[in-house]
Amino acid sequence: MPLAIDAQSITKVYGSGGTAVQALRGIDLQVERGEFLALIGPSGSGKSTLMAILGCLDRPSQGSYALDGEPVEGLSGQGLARIRNARIGFVFQAYNLLAKATVVRNVELPLLYAGVPRQERRRRALALLEQVGLADQAHKLPGELSGGQKQRVSIARALANRPSILLADEPTGALDSRTGAEILELFKDLNGQGNTVILVTHDLGIAAQAHLQVEIRDGLIATRTRTRIRERP
Amino acid sequence: MSAGAFRERLVEASAELRENRGRASLQALGVVLGVASVLGGFAINDSMRQQADRLFVRFGGLEKLRVYPNPIVKGGQPTALQTANLGLRSADAAGGEALDPAAVAGVSVRRFDRVLVKSPATVQDRQVTGIGADFIPMEGYALAAGRGFTHSELETGAPVAILGTQAADSFFPTGSPVGQTLNLRGIPVTVVGTFQYRLFRFREGAENIFSWENRIIALPAAFVQKRLQGDPNLRLDQVAFKLPRAGDLMEFSRTLTGMLRTSHRMQTDFRLDDVAARYAKADSQGRIYDLVFLLSGVLALLGGGIVNVNIQMASLKDRVREVGVKMAIGASSREIFKSFMTEALLLTVLGSLAGLAVGVLFSWLITRVLGVPLAMGLDSFVWAFLLAFGFGFAFSLFPAWKASRLSPMEALRYE
Repeated sequence: MPLAIDAQSITKVYGSGGTAVQALRGIDLQVERGEFLALIGPSGSGKSTLMAILGCLDRPSQGSYALDGEPVEGLSGQGLARIRNARIGFVFQAYNLLAKATVVRNVELPLLYAGVPRQERRRRALALLEQVGLADQAHKLPGELSGGQKQRVSIARALANRPSILLADEPTGALDSRTGAEILELFKDLNGQGNTVILVTHDLGIAAQAHLQVEIRDGLIATRTRTRIRERP
Repeated sequence: MSAGAFRERLVEASAELRENRGRASLQALGVVLGVASVLGGFAINDSMRQQADRLFVRFGGLEKLRVYPNPIVKGGQPTALQTANLGLRSADAAGGEALDPAAVAGVSVRRFDRVLVKSPATVQDRQVTGIGADFIPMEGYALAAGRGFTHSELETGAPVAILGTQAADSFFPTGSPVGQTLNLRGIPVTVVGTFQYRLFRFREGAENIFSWENRIIALPAAFVQKRLQGDPNLRLDQVAFKLPRAGDLMEFSRTLTGMLRTSHRMQTDFRLDDVAARYAKADSQGRIYDLVFLLSGVLALLGGGIVNVNIQMASLKDRVREVGVKMAIGASSREIFKSFMTEALLLTVLGSLAGLAVGVLFSWLITRVLGVPLAMGLDSFVWAFLLAFGFGFAFSLFPAWKASRLSPMEALRYE
């Protein structure tokens, strides 16, 4: 079975010449399927850059990266969009929901880009909302929901195309601790159901909930700590 | 793209538009105003042009050829040949008609004189007009009361008259003039009919261009020639030939000139309307109108288009994050481009339709203010719509392209 993530010697340089900034300086990261990994590190460490590359939002300057066994470094913009759509589920700190679209339409959006017919889209989006406990909020606007509810909507959206990895960037950063804990529980549940979860955070308490902590410092992996043996399903 | 995918895109675009009503209506407003002003421009031009055409027809249009006497004078004196010649005569009118009876549908003659006209109510020094058989229909007159001249009255020059409304009112202020008698140089003349009021205003509130025609005192031409002027040569002041078939005018004007020169001892003591010039004028006038309204329409749409691009570019700033999110969850640049274009074109179509409605209102208002009857051709609607669609398409390309070129990561970080 191929690795969920197989990144080798990833570097990323912004700018060129004298003003070039080396954000990543050779990252090797292999993540098995079903893993629950936390990427930690101070701001400016390169963890956001790494997340963008893992999420196919950006390309590495050098190195190779395969997602679910499929190399992505040579893909066109179109190809990357397809990978993001089918294999990656993003969860953002700021939720990034479309404010003027209803909750259910937000969840439908990845299905739309995947070419799922309308009725099927609606059916699956409602099922996903059910899964995150928001079935009764489907026709509200995101603005009418609480922060925790919004994050559940964005998780439902991230799950829409049954992605290979869930990529969450400070998903609890904008939430109070109780709601944050609930969201974290949801991620644990999802991981328990077999989803590969990558959590980007600077909060060590949250990182400790993951099975594997990878610390980035100055564009390199500084430490890898396994706090829990992954239960194989 | 399959029809199903297109429909899907359309449904999505209309949902997006509904979700962003404010932006969408602002964007559509540019189109609405653009289309409305194009249609308004077309309609104003059409209306003015039609009115000008009506006037042109009333002045003879392209189917009447008029001939006038044109004395050849040298050093203030008529030449010997001119004196020997007789000028334009009734014989010329008959000869002209005989030249091509198939082409000539009517001949209208005029012979003017100025006499003292007496009625029981008043005495006035007035111009009187001697007319021939086809004068009334050809010159656009119509009888209001009484009758026209009979063939024998025209032939013999009987003392009968038909009055325009102004003449009727001033000579017979009370009661109907029909059956009454006027006195012209001692000759009693019976009024047998009256003409309808002649009216043509280019714009409402403007003066009646044909008000002088209501002053007419019409008599048989032969009466003016024989009884008032004692002219055995039956000279005329104007002969008009009606040639209803469009192509006949040029050819007829050539043969008529030849015939008249021959019978006038090779003297050109007459003058024909310049037919070629009239054709050219009708033509160039139309072309100027076409050009003006096309130009004003294109300018209006250009203005509307630029406003539209501005709004789209401004709203793109608000949408950068939205585009970033969509790209993160799997929308390709192509997808973003297509959805921007679909939205813009849907707005263009909706805005155009609304613009057509507003344009009709515009046109109606403006022509009302101008006082010209409203004329709108179907082709104006089609053109306004097509132009708007073309411009809408062209002006949507840049914002859509711009949006599709956004980098998903930078777009996501955009604040």
